Amino acid sequence: MLEKYAPAIESPRYKGNAVWIGIGLLVIAILILLFKTAGVGAQAPPPAEPCLQCHVIPGLEKKLTNGEKLKLTISAESFARSVHGSRLICSDCHAGYITAPHPNRNIDNRRSYSIAQYEVCKKCHFANYTKTLDSVHYAMLNKGNQNAPVCTDCHTSHDVTHPDKPRRAISQACSACHTAISKTYVTSVHGKALVEEDNKDVPVCTDCHGVHNIHDPRIESYRLDVPDLCARCHTDETLMDKYDISTRVVQTYLSDFHGVTVSLRQKQSPDTRTTEAVCTDCHGVHDIARVESTNSPVMKANLVKTCQKCHPDAGPNFPSAWLSHYEPSPQKAPLVYFARLFYLAFIPFMIVGLSIHVMLNLWRAITHR
Amino acid sequence: MEQTLEVGPITRARAEYVKRFSLSQRMEHLAIMITFTGLAITGLPQKYAGATVPQWLIIHMGGIELTRLIHRILSFIFTAGALYHAGIIFVSIARHQFRPNIFFSFRDYRDAVAVLRYDLGISDKHPEFDRFDFRQKFEYWGIVFGGIIMLVSGYFLMFPIFFTRILPGQAIPVAKVFHSYEGLMAFLVIIIWHLYGAHLEPDKFPGDTTIFTGKISRERMQKEHSLEYERIVREERERAEKAQEEKEKIDEKVD
Repeated sequence: MLEKYAPAIESPRYKGNAVWIGIGLLVIAILILLFKTAGVGAQAPPPAEPCLQCHVIPGLEKKLTNGEKLKLTISAESFARSVHGSRLICSDCHAGYITAPHPNRNIDNRRSYSIAQYEVCKKCHFANYTKTLDSVHYAMLNKGNQNAPVCTDCHTSHDVTHPDKPRRAISQACSACHTAISKTYVTSVHGKALVEEDNKDVPVCTDCHGVHNIHDPRIESYRLDVPDLCARCHTDETLMDKYDISTRVVQTYLSDFHGVTVSLRQKQSPDTRTTEAVCTDCHGVHDIARVESTNSPVMKANLVKTCQKCHPDAGPNFPSAWLSHYEPSPQKAPLVYFARLFYLAFIPFMIVGLSIHVMLNLWRAITHR
Repeated sequence: MEQTLEVGPITRARAEYVKRFSLSQRMEHLAIMITFTGLAITGLPQKYAGATVPQWLIIHMGGIELTRLIHRILSFIFTAGALYHAGIIFVSIARHQFRPNIFFSFRDYRDAVAVLRYDLGISDKHPEFDRFDFRQKFEYWGIVFGGIIMLVSGYFLMFPIFFTRILPGQAIPVAKVFHSYEGLMAFLVIIIWHLYGAHLEPDKFPGDTTIFTGKISRERMQKEHSLEYERIVREERERAEKAQEEKEKIDEKVD
C-alpha cells in the first residue's frame, strides 16, 4: 500500500515531518485515553440532589386511583452504591418532576406505573430493550398480562447492581415468579453448586433460557436445540476436566438413533413436534441429578422406567441397548467393539482383494490384445 | 429306414442363443437389483448422517422419517425375494427338476489359481467352467450370507423392544455394527466387483444382458461355460439316441 503514496514520501523532507506528526498524534491519543478511563469506575460522591431532600424521608407515599399506596422513599446510600449512582440523577428517569410542587399525576395502580417506566430504560439500554421485545415476557405483557416482568422487576429500580455479582442473584430474581421451578432447581446438581459454592461454571436460569430475549421453552424448536445447549458446556474440555465428566457425551448421542433423528429434524423441520429423546428427556430439566446419585433417572436401576416414558413395552434388557454415552471398548460393550474391529479389518481385505482381481483381469486383457 | 436324430434346442444348429435363465430367475434378479439400490441409497446416508452430502440426500428424499420408511418397505420386498428364492430352490430340488451348480468344490480353487496364472501371463491356458464359474459362485454366496446378516440385524434394529425381551440389550448395538458395516461392504463389492464383472469387463462391455433377456449366445456359452455346454449337448444326444432306440424297438415289434 505504501507504493501508492511513495512519490510523496520519498522526499526526505516529508519523511522526517511525517514521523514527528505521527509521534505527536500518538501522545495526544494516549492522553485522551488516560483521561477518559480516569472517569470510569471512580466513585464520585453523590451529587447533592434536591429531590433527595424530601425523598429520603421515611413514610413518604402517594395514594393511587385504585387505593394502593406507592412508596416514595428511597435509600440514598443504596442508590449511590448502585451502578447508576455516580452516573444518573433522579430526573434522568423520572422526567417532569423538576418543578416543586410536582404536577399531579394520575396513576391507576403501582403495576401500571412500573410498566410505564419500562420505556425509560430504553434511553440508554436500547440494545437490551430491543431484545426484550422478542421475549416471551413481552409477549405476555402485550396480551394484557400485567404481571409479566419488565426491567425493574429483575434489576430493581434504585439498587441496580451488576446482575451476576453474586451469580445466584440471577436465579433469585427469576424465583420471584417461577417459585416452584426455582425450588426444584436448587436441589439439582447445578443449582446446589450455585447456591452452596457460588460455582461459576454451572448454568443459572439465563444460561439456558436467554437473558433479555427469553423464548418460550415449550416450543418445538427450543426442544430440538437442547443438545446444542447442553453441548456448550459439556463438550468443553477445560470445564469438564474440573469435574471429571466425559466430553464425548454429545458425540455418542449424535451417533445413535435419537441423536441422528433430532439433528436431522433440526435441519429440515425445526418447528415440528419431535418425539425422540433429547438430553432433558432422560436427565431431567430443573431436577438434573448427578448420574451416580440414587434418584438419578439415568442410574442403571432407574433407567428402564425412564425409557418406558416413551417405550412403555420396554423390558429390563432394553436400556442396555443404549451404550450410556460410552464408546465401545473391550471393557464397555466388548461385542460391539470387536464386531466393529472385525469389519474394519475385513472390509479393506475384501475390497483390496477384489480390486486386485479386477486389475489382474484388466492387465491380461490389455497386454494380450 | 433312416431316422433323423431328434436334437434338442441346444444342438439345433440354427439356434444362436441358448436359454440360460428362466423368467423366474430374471424377475428375481430385477427385484434384488432394484431393492438393493434403494436400500443402499436410503441406508448408507443413515450410517453417515453427520456428513453434509448424506444429510442433503436424506432431506431431499423427504426427511429422515420417510427415508427410514422407504428403507423398511424395501427390506420387506427383499425379505420376500429371499424367501421366494429359498422356497423355489427347495421345491425344485425336491421335484428333481434341478441340480444345483452353485456349491464350491476343489475344482473352483484350482480354477482360481489357473485364472491367476492366466491373468499374470504365466500361462495361456484358461480353465473351463461349468454353469457358474468360481467368481459367480463367490458372488452368490456373498449375497446369501450378506443377505442373512442384513435381514437378521435389520429386524433386530426394527423391533428392538421385541428382541430385547429374549436377548441382552447389547444385541442391538451389535446388530447396528453388523448391519451398517455389512451393508457398506455389500455396496462396495457391488460397485467394484459386480459392476466390473457385468459391465466394465472388456468382453462384456457395455453390459452383459443375459440376466435380463435370459439368453446367452452359443459362442459365449462355449467360451465361458464350456463344460455346461458340452454336458447339455451330451445329455440331449443321449436322450435323442434313447428315444431312437425305443422307436426302433417298437418298430421291430410291429414288423
